[in-house]
Amino acid sequence: MKNRIEEIRTQKGIKQEELAKLMGVSRQTISSLENGRYNPSIMLAHKIAKYFGMTIEELFIFEED
Amino acid sequence: MNNNQARTLLSIFWIILGIVILTLSVLGILNNTLFGGMGGALIAVGCLQLYRHIKYSRDEDYKERIDIEVSDERNKFLRLKSWAWAGYITVLVEAVASIIAYISKQVLIGQILCYSICLITFTYWLSYMILSRKY
Repeated sequence: MKNRIEEIRTQKGIKQEELAKLMGVSRQTISSLENGRYNPSIMLAHKIAKYFGMTIEELFIFEED
Repeated sequence: MNNNQARTLLSIFWIILGIVILTLSVLGILNNTLFGGMGGALIAVGCLQLYRHIKYSRDEDYKERIDIEVSDERNKFLRLKSWAWAGYITVLVEAVASIIAYISKQVLIGQILCYSICLITFTYWLSYMILSRKY
């Protein structure tokens, strides 16, 4: 699943480490999310979207297989 | 008693058990070199665990890093995935090994491997049944 985490994060000038610490996850998790290698749980997706002041749909791009 | 204190005590127990086993092995009461190795391994593991638990209780940065590592959802996912892979690979290797064992007339080894596959499959089925009731 594609997402706009990297785009929004860099716009806000936040480092991966900082976002990871705020979300209570490892930096590798943020990196994997940004690369689209790992899909987050609904809880983490909600937490990240809420932090950026967006909805989950705005942050994560759902694509039909 | 918190979780870390309990783990610290468990580490001390492993060290003491290791010392006892090693001593009995050196004195010849436990007459097998296996026990000597086991005692040494228990002491080493106990010391390593004890070091980690002490560091966890004293070093805030280390504690934070460990807490994130343990609770991180991607790590949990990777751990579960790794166990699933380990299970699949074990069953496949055992299945191939059991066929080789039967071909090379090692019937007992072949039977043990087949029982092992049955046990793993049964455990999987049982786990699935329990989890399907829970979720």
